[in-house]
Amino acid sequence: MSVTSQRRGGGYLERPAPSGLADVVEVILDKGIVIDAYVRVSLVGIELLTIDARIVIASVDTYLRFAEATNRLDLYEKGGKDLTEAVGDLQESGAGRKVGGAIKGAKKAITGGDDDEDEESRRPAKRPARSRRSSRE
Amino acid sequence: MTATTTVEPDLDALPEHLGIYVYGVVETASEVDRTDLVGLDDARVLLVASGDVAAAVGVVALERPPGRKRDLVAHSSVLDALAATGPVVPVQFGTVLLSAADVRAELLESREEDLLAMLGDLSGRQQFTVRGRYNEHAVLAEVVAEDPEVAVLRERTRDLPEGAAHGDRVRLGELVAHALEAKREQDAAVVMDAVLPHVVSCAPRDGASVDHMMEVAFLVDEDRRDAFEEALEAVAEAMHERVRLQLLGPMAPYDFVGQ
Repeated sequence: MSVTSQRRGGGYLERPAPSGLADVVEVILDKGIVIDAYVRVSLVGIELLTIDARIVIASVDTYLRFAEATNRLDLYEKGGKDLTEAVGDLQESGAGRKVGGAIKGAKKAITGGDDDEDEESRRPAKRPARSRRSSRE
Repeated sequence: MTATTTVEPDLDALPEHLGIYVYGVVETASEVDRTDLVGLDDARVLLVASGDVAAAVGVVALERPPGRKRDLVAHSSVLDALAATGPVVPVQFGTVLLSAADVRAELLESREEDLLAMLGDLSGRQQFTVRGRYNEHAVLAEVVAEDPEVAVLRERTRDLPEGAAHGDRVRLGELVAHALEAKREQDAAVVMDAVLPHVVSCAPRDGASVDHMMEVAFLVDEDRRDAFEEALEAVAEAMHERVRLQLLGPMAPYDFVGQ
């Protein structure tokens, strides 16, 4: 699967296909005008979860994730690679994409509901939302 | 998708077990209720009008609170479809009211002036979202090369078992996080300088992942859209070795209706 749906004539700007779950969650989750809580019948407890996800930004845990990502780097010391080759490696190996999982995990908790199988069966080719980011161009 | 039933429920006399899901607000002149547009539970999108503004709604069962993946997707599909035909003010996902009378009283009548102003501002404009992701490996390698302390800490901690040298790891992560923050500011400024001449307004969003470079929503006039996309394409090419630039949209103007 490619996230690039309509790349025009070898351009570098990616145009991801719309409506992937990860995109939809990030784009719309806490957006839009709000109707008074005393009037509406339901509004899923979404705000809390997105706030939770943002709290992690300047914590020790976050720093440890950054340190881990930095330590995963395979620079020239090992195997005599220079930077250019290292860049190529990333595209091959998908190294270092797990960071940020906590946030995606929190968002996933919101929508990872009872209709997972349902979703799978309707669109069997669809990958789990978590791996979308690792799709290569 | 097409509607599964041809008998439309009377929104002003709904049975007790049914409620009204609200997608957003459009101009009453919108003819969306004459199309086959469907939303949650494949229910047709209908209008509840009051004066010059109308809520785009669908009938849902009350005992079934929205919150599933496909509900989110349906909500955004309806709003994007509405945005493609005219201005729309999105209402927050998951909003269900008991009756059409509530929709008029609590949403339309009490805020008609505001809503009309917002619809006017959004007319002929669409939202696009630009997302920049670092090539994590390339940009972290830059950080290691540019800051000797990072390089030293990395050497000291990388081959130790997880949990050892906790203080060094935290310090390393802190330095890297701050270095990336500085890079983000610089790189995002390059993108913003390129596109700001072509947009009406912008709304940045937060991101906390290592590869996050920028995520900004833009409101773009229909007749500037080509110029906006060309400017982005040029900047995407210029930074493609370090950054993947993605353009999402056009979509409903989620980031330009307050809140």
